[in-house]
Amino acid sequence: MTLSTVSAAPPPLPAPPAEPTPLRREYASSIGIVALCTAFCFALRPRLKTADVAMVLLLGVVAVAARYRRGPALLASALSIAVFDFVFVPPYYTFSVHDTAYFLTFGVMLAVALVMSGLTARIREQREEARERERRTAALYAMERELSEAVGREALVAIAERHLGRAAGGIATLLLEGDADPATWPTTGVFDSPEVRVAATWARERGIPAGWSTTSGAGAEAIAVPLRAAALPMGLAVIQPADPDRRLSDAERETVFALADLGAAALERRLLAERSEEARGAIEAERLRTALLSSLSHDLRTPLGTIEGAASSLLEEPGALGADTRGELLQSILEESRRMTRLITNLLDMIRVETGALAVRKEWQPLEEALGVALLRLEERLRAHPVQAKLPSDLPLVPIDELLIEQVFINLLENAAKYTPAGTPITIAAWPENGAVVVEVADRGPGVPPGEEEAVFGRFYRTSSAASADAGAGSGLGLTICRGIISAHAGRIWIERRPGGGAAVRFTLPLTGPPMDAMPAEPLEA
Amino acid sequence: MAAPGPLVLIIEDEPHMRRFLRATLRGNAFQVVEAASAREGLAQAAGRNPEVILLDLGLPDRDGREVTRELRTTTRAPIIILSARGQEHEKVALLDLGADDYLTKPFGAAELLARIRVALRHAGSPAEGMEEPVYLAGEVRVDARRRQVFREADEVHLTPTEYKLLAILIRHAGRVITHRQLLQEVWGANYVAQTHYLRVYMAQLRHKLERDPTRPRLLLTEPGIGYRLREEERG
Repeated sequence: MTLSTVSAAPPPLPAPPAEPTPLRREYASSIGIVALCTAFCFALRPRLKTADVAMVLLLGVVAVAARYRRGPALLASALSIAVFDFVFVPPYYTFSVHDTAYFLTFGVMLAVALVMSGLTARIREQREEARERERRTAALYAMERELSEAVGREALVAIAERHLGRAAGGIATLLLEGDADPATWPTTGVFDSPEVRVAATWARERGIPAGWSTTSGAGAEAIAVPLRAAALPMGLAVIQPADPDRRLSDAERETVFALADLGAAALERRLLAERSEEARGAIEAERLRTALLSSLSHDLRTPLGTIEGAASSLLEEPGALGADTRGELLQSILEESRRMTRLITNLLDMIRVETGALAVRKEWQPLEEALGVALLRLEERLRAHPVQAKLPSDLPLVPIDELLIEQVFINLLENAAKYTPAGTPITIAAWPENGAVVVEVADRGPGVPPGEEEAVFGRFYRTSSAASADAGAGSGLGLTICRGIISAHAGRIWIERRPGGGAAVRFTLPLTGPPMDAMPAEPLEA
Repeated sequence: MAAPGPLVLIIEDEPHMRRFLRATLRGNAFQVVEAASAREGLAQAAGRNPEVILLDLGLPDRDGREVTRELRTTTRAPIIILSARGQEHEKVALLDLGADDYLTKPFGAAELLARIRVALRHAGSPAEGMEEPVYLAGEVRVDARRRQVFREADEVHLTPTEYKLLAILIRHAGRVITHRQLLQEVWGANYVAQTHYLRVYMAQLRHKLERDPTRPRLLLTEPGIGYRLREEERG
């Protein structure tokens, strides 16, 4: 495995979180409020006592402190004290105070401003926190939902990159962990920066985030977050912020880390699933190998024994053999060779089906053609059975690989011929149904034993009622190959017991394939 | 001694296959020259002037396409490809490059001799065109001058495209023609990928000319390759 990067298109940057009112505006407002209170008191001055004025100004301070941050609150408080002292406390229009009791009023104003603004700040922080928690939950949920629907590692990586980028306000790149070293990292873009590379190396080696907005290597213009999963390190997320001067808040950072963990967990699940799939595949392959070996050693040796024996008789005792015997021996050599050819063909098809080496070259064509080839090829072997093959003339063209579908017909017809008594009919039918063509090959033989309808498609299945070796016992692969071929055509194949006796194998060929050009019109008669 | 038979060049690396071919051909009055590699085969083809070439698809020293191309620069003798099952793609390529026919291993002596005879006959009449004004194949009779087609006694009406297709098949009677070659001749070079045209018209022809279109006797399918008009064995 190598450390690979999968780059995704940079996600559209989301609107930045609603900023609290800029500080400058708060200061201006606080001055305004104090001015308003002052104007009010000034206007009603003849009717107000000094204590009332203090109350009104205090109200202004409270109003400012309840809404704004500490600075504007203190400013409001200071201004109010100054105005109160200068305008309303005798001697007027000087800052000197004769009655020391007013110092208490000043103190109260200041204290109220401090206490109120402290409360306000805490409430605001809590509100921010709650909002951030909500955002984080929503972000985690959204990412989790997308990850659960994603197929394939590339999709997981793209989703994680998009969500991480959005959460951090930048562009995220995932570096997936192999056992590779930083030498394989990309060298373009943000990775061009030595600080970023140092931060990424640090993050990878220590398993803690580094770079922008962290305590280690904050000078780097990107943040590197390790993708920590339960059992395995999954790599790194490197996020380049759109605005490197802004720092992530603690809460935002936590969100980014949580998303990184979520992505790591999804990648790990995927990796573990792949590994167990590989292991299962290896076991399957081993089982297939064993089965093939036993089949090869038995089924190929038998005809070879006949061939060798017959040939050596012909060579070694030419004089002792009558013309009839010679003919018989030659006939068995020919027949056994043909049997071996069929067997090897089946084994090779089987291997192609099982190893996924089946290349399907679909072309639109009449089903009749593939069927015709199969019927012609099996003419000899079907001689003992009346075969009825009448396809409706309006059957649509089907998108199939003719060589493969022909093989399906050959296998099905061979089975029908092999397992049914001579003289019983074999019928082939086809009809369109639900966007597919259904094909049926039916016989009047003993049918499939009840409960074995699925098993007959298994490898090396041989029914107990199989005809003797005399009829050329099959390889037990025919139906397995059929299923492989039909699956490769996105169709289904199954076997049914026929009313009135016999077996019917049916398969579907979906009518979906490459687009088909309309045929040019027939030229006018010459 | 009778006049020596036609000379057949066998290019095949497998000695047992060569032995089978040699024995069968000599037994049927052919002369045989053998080559175990493409290099040797090309030299023999240029030096001995064979009348038919049997070319194994899978020689160790050269690619089949190269050999076919090179053979075609020195000789017009028909080339029959000997191939294994599952090499359809390669066979089509060689046929389109100028090879004349193919045999899929394992094949019997009768099949081999039939292919060679057809190849020799076509090579003997280089004028490409209908050999006879009236062509007979089984129950089907084609009168080229009148452009009339009969099945047994009844006239069969063919569309111009169907007739054109049939005429080409007759001209190549007994030999395989690839999908591409047929599409190019009937519809033109822009249509060589539209195999479904061809298949639909072949199906129509079969329905008009064959007794049982699902078991064609005359218009044979060569799966994955093309078509062949079955020729009556003569003599």
